[in-house]
Amino acid sequence: MADLGLMSVLLGLALSAYAAIASVVGVKKRMPELLVSSSRSLHMTTLVTVVASLALITAFVQNDFSIKYVSDHSNTVMDRAFVWVAFYAGNQGSLLFILLVLVVASSLSVWLAPKRLARSMPWTIAILGATQFFYFFVLAFYASPFELNDVVPLDGRGINPLLTHPGMFSHPPLLMGGLITITIPFAFASGALIAGNYGDDWIDVARVTSIISWGVLGAGMLLGAWWAYTILGWGGYWAWDPIENVALMPWLVMTAFIHSIMVQKRRGMFRMWNIAMLNIGFVLAQLGMFINRGGPVVSVHSFASSTLGVIFLSFMMISLVFAFALFLWRMPELKSDRAMESFMSREASFLINNFLFLAVMAVTLWGVLFPLFSDLARDVSVSVSAPYFDRANGPILLGIVLMMGIGPLLPWRKSSARSLKQWFVWPTIVGIITIIVLVLFGVKRPVAILSFGVVAFVAAAILEEWWRGTVSRHRAGDNWALAWWRLVNGNRPRHGGYIVHISILMLGLGIIGTNFYQQRTDGALGLGESLVIDNYRVEYVSNGDASRSDRIAQWAEMSVFNIDRQDYIEEFEFAEAQGADGFTIRDSSLRPNDEYIGQIEPWHGFYLDFNMASVRSGIRSTIAEDLYVIPRDFLADGRVSVAVSINPLAWWLWASGPFFVIGTMVALWPQPSVERRKMPTSSKEAGD
Amino acid sequence: MAVTVGTLLAILCVAVIAYPLFRKNRYRMVSESFVTREKLRAERLRIYRKINDLESDYTSGDLTEDDYQQQRDQLRHAAAQLLMQETGAGSARERDIEEEIAQLRNQSSESLEGGDTVL
Repeated sequence: MADLGLMSVLLGLALSAYAAIASVVGVKKRMPELLVSSSRSLHMTTLVTVVASLALITAFVQNDFSIKYVSDHSNTVMDRAFVWVAFYAGNQGSLLFILLVLVVASSLSVWLAPKRLARSMPWTIAILGATQFFYFFVLAFYASPFELNDVVPLDGRGINPLLTHPGMFSHPPLLMGGLITITIPFAFASGALIAGNYGDDWIDVARVTSIISWGVLGAGMLLGAWWAYTILGWGGYWAWDPIENVALMPWLVMTAFIHSIMVQKRRGMFRMWNIAMLNIGFVLAQLGMFINRGGPVVSVHSFASSTLGVIFLSFMMISLVFAFALFLWRMPELKSDRAMESFMSREASFLINNFLFLAVMAVTLWGVLFPLFSDLARDVSVSVSAPYFDRANGPILLGIVLMMGIGPLLPWRKSSARSLKQWFVWPTIVGIITIIVLVLFGVKRPVAILSFGVVAFVAAAILEEWWRGTVSRHRAGDNWALAWWRLVNGNRPRHGGYIVHISILMLGLGIIGTNFYQQRTDGALGLGESLVIDNYRVEYVSNGDASRSDRIAQWAEMSVFNIDRQDYIEEFEFAEAQGADGFTIRDSSLRPNDEYIGQIEPWHGFYLDFNMASVRSGIRSTIAEDLYVIPRDFLADGRVSVAVSINPLAWWLWASGPFFVIGTMVALWPQPSVERRKMPTSSKEAGD
Repeated sequence: MAVTVGTLLAILCVAVIAYPLFRKNRYRMVSESFVTREKLRAERLRIYRKINDLESDYTSGDLTEDDYQQQRDQLRHAAAQLLMQETGAGSARERDIEEEIAQLRNQSSESLEGGDTVL
């Protein structure tokens, strides 16, 4: 299998180089047969990469430990279901996976591209071929997954224990896929620029491929957060880790792009801006690869790091120079036909939202690169931690959410005082009422209350849009359900976007709840002892052993009771005096109002070969809050050390996922043909 | 076995990408008129889409009657102009095709199996 894999990679190297060179020569010398040949070469890279990937997967299935990558990332006791995860568990395999996604996406996009892009297509193929060449080159000479062991081991080291989680079947592939597929819209836009195609011909392809890439990346990040929450035992879902940040930054820029591209589609504006956004997105994706592979900054994802930093840094610099040299060269031709008529317009709101997205990106980039700068300047690497990101990005993110409500309410071009009053009055009232109600109910923390008010304002704005549109269609004779369906169906990109906005609001609820109102306590519990926090009592009932040949593992059975705080009033007063959210009690006898509500089984394992601990948190989740138990360690005296927290509104974080995916799919779903319905049969009929 | 499969794969790749190089007469560069017509058509469809969005905005109450009428008329006018240009580009394309057929007749005795492939 190693021979076949290596041959496939070398073939891919030659084919991608040929695709890049032949397409440029073909278009310069006007040789159509060479252009066809280069296009075919690009498609053949897909075939050879699929063969290389199948060779590696087969090696895993057959436990072929003669291949170093296989022995490093699997063993005979590994569940066969994890072969797919093992494929990209390490640096070399993940690069092959990234390449696989790139070649498939390249082939599909070139194959499905409209004919009107024929003039720019050779340049697009050249850019795609050159990018593929880089990855084939790295795989062939620096990070081959087909390298052989000098001595074949009897068994492998096994898969990284952190990766043995259902989320790992989708989180890494989605993240890697999302990052690398930003290459596709970038290649189409750059190809159009090189070919001198300054119009809007490329934007349909760029919009579709960008939304796919953005949706995949977003879903990958959300799954990653879920994985961190349920398996890593961080007690949280987002830690502003450098690797998380390098995925977030291109996503933010692509979010800005898929908003501003709408302005270009609708009003013919922001041409330069959109190209700049794509360039920044592509370069940031390369920065992500560099940080991930080069490991210049410390990350919890260090298992993916390697010594490839210089190579990826070089490629990133080449990408940066190429993208912006091209941009500067064609800038004079990219001026938009129209100017902005009013700052009280939808296009202006999109511009503001773009600036806000870029601001979050810049703050995050500074935080990611600061350790490098401090290392260069003072020879001391100073890391930037979560409070910096929270404080700097928090207000901007709130501004983005607010714009999410304002933007769709503003009309294109300009708005009148009457229309502003008509559209803004109800959402504003809902937002203010929410704030008043929260204050009246004694909810604390003004920033959080304001944030809830903003969320309510945006939700009301979306519902108002749907309400008015639905009522209007209902008056025309449709029943309510059909009226709403026709409203959404009539403009899928817009209403798909609203569904995504709803998912962001749900995410916002979870972020506000968990960041502002989390309660947390720690303790070591013996059998029969309990830990009390807020209105919960968690009792350690029993434990069990789940050790296997590669790990020492135990689980704890814990009963969860709902309590009346009045029954524990003295203990709570004592704990609050100590500044703690909870306390431990030795007496396991039930208080009068204790009500058994369920059981959780947190799990803790230590993997000997990896010298690494892995946990499964015990979570009792409701719409209002999560009771979250992390087993830190099983102590020698029989006690279990736990961290228990109450995470308000955490459920909404994960519930937002399906809405995000559905909204993205609705926005992407092809619109019904307008040609048949709208096309006039003659120019006279068209009003000429 | 693996080496045999790899070799066959290499032969297949070379055959697939080399084939067009030996069938030069089968391919030609796309004509300017074809690209222009495709672009005009795409632009026209974009305008239809805009009219569709405009109707959606109007039905939802986003637009006043006057704004809707004015913008719709502008878009319809633009669509009509594009349609006229497309008709013109169609005539130019027919001329291109006739010229290319004449060129091919003179160029080679090789037949045009399967018709033209346009990249």
